Amino acid sequence: MSAHHPDDLTLLDYSAGSLGLAQALAVSVHLGYCNQCQSQLRKLNALGGVLLEETTPASVGANDDQIPEQNHSQMEELNKSFEALMARIESEPVEPPKRESTGFHNPLERYLPASLDELNWQQQTREIAKFDLTNVVDMGSARVALQKIKAGAKVPVHTHRGNELTVVLKGGFSDELGVYHAGDYIARDPSHKHSPTALQNEDCVCLTVLDAPMKFTGPLMRWLNPLFAWRA
Amino acid sequence: MLRTKAQSMSNTSSANGDGPDWGELLAQVAHKGDTMAFRKVYAHFAPRIKAYAINQGMHQQAEELVQEVMTSVWRNADKYCGSLASASTWIFTITRNQRIDLLRKKGRTSKEITVDTEELWQIPTEDTTIRSIQAMSTEKRMRESIGELPEEQMIAVRKVYYEGKTHQEVAEELNVPLGTLKGRLRLSMKKLRVMLEAAEL
Ligand SMILES: [Zn+2]
Repeated sequence: MSAHHPDDLTLLDYSAGSLGLAQALAVSVHLGYCNQCQSQLRKLNALGGVLLEETTPASVGANDDQIPEQNHSQMEELNKSFEALMARIESEPVEPPKRESTGFHNPLERYLPASLDELNWQQQTREIAKFDLTNVVDMGSARVALQKIKAGAKVPVHTHRGNELTVVLKGGFSDELGVYHAGDYIARDPSHKHSPTALQNEDCVCLTVLDAPMKFTGPLMRWLNPLFAWRA
Repeated sequence: MLRTKAQSMSNTSSANGDGPDWGELLAQVAHKGDTMAFRKVYAHFAPRIKAYAINQGMHQQAEELVQEVMTSVWRNADKYCGSLASASTWIFTITRNQRIDLLRKKGRTSKEITVDTEELWQIPTEDTTIRSIQAMSTEKRMRESIGELPEEQMIAVRKVYYEGKTHQEVAEELNVPLGTLKGRLRLSMKKLRVMLEAAEL
């Protein structure tokens, strides 16, 4: 069970489908670990379902600029578009089903060339290694990497140009603000100086997502919510 | 483009138990390839999916989105899990994912691997949580709870969900500071959570 979660607005944007791809990756990884966020997401999706149900229907088949003269022709257009769809479905080959998965799982599983232990890690220092995914996966302009810190090792104090999202995949670490374990989702904005230290018992592996430097609308937002203003 | 509260209250649908049982119709599609059942699902949802696309500013691709979503509904009807989501919620999640997919196709780069949208926005097919709440009642309560939100919070939520706008864009459109908009969204999330939890007890 995780103790650190994406905030309400992040889950709202995720459910609405307006979150960036790299951020969605981080949320999706976290969901695999967190029943609480799964349950919250279900509610948010239900909100989407209600909004879909209650929307004023648009006429299907007809051109948008063509105002349907009467209900009858609207029904006709709808029927025609249905027949067209069925014809298309029957003519198209059915794609073989993709890997079956019934619940939330780590979306990276399918894309990593090897297991976490067997990855071709690039050693940054004696204690820190990196597996860069930025040029491998299609994630827009964000930088995506896995990071491995040796058990007990300390990462030098650093700041970030952009906002940093971290999801712990294995082991854990601590910094000035808390202690984090597998599944925890941590958002940090550029104002943050931090020096994470891996927990003693095992190497710590994290997914890190760094977005491009962003415009801030003013100091107020950061003052209001210094921890989670990463999408401000 | 939403109906007013009064209209939505009188609107009878599956979530209220009065309309067609969409879950049952989807089951007929899944098990018997029942075209008649699918036609009913199509007649109800296709015009709503199209309205969603138009609200999202996708006029040009609105028909394409409808066809993609309904094709997916036909092919994946057996994956619909009634205890996880109501039919309209399930179809909403498919619609959302297909919309993201269409937008991603436009901006494809030459990177080696494309992580599938369905991996980033997963739709579980089995209820794996310990505490299972009936999806129908979740949606019914959500419908009631939304009705209780103050107008300005409702408008903010609707714009984020339904018009695919960023917080910045919504704030500009409503002519309020970004912080105010975020405050409204946070409050609405908190209220919905409290109302739903109260109903679950
Ligand atoms: Zn969580």
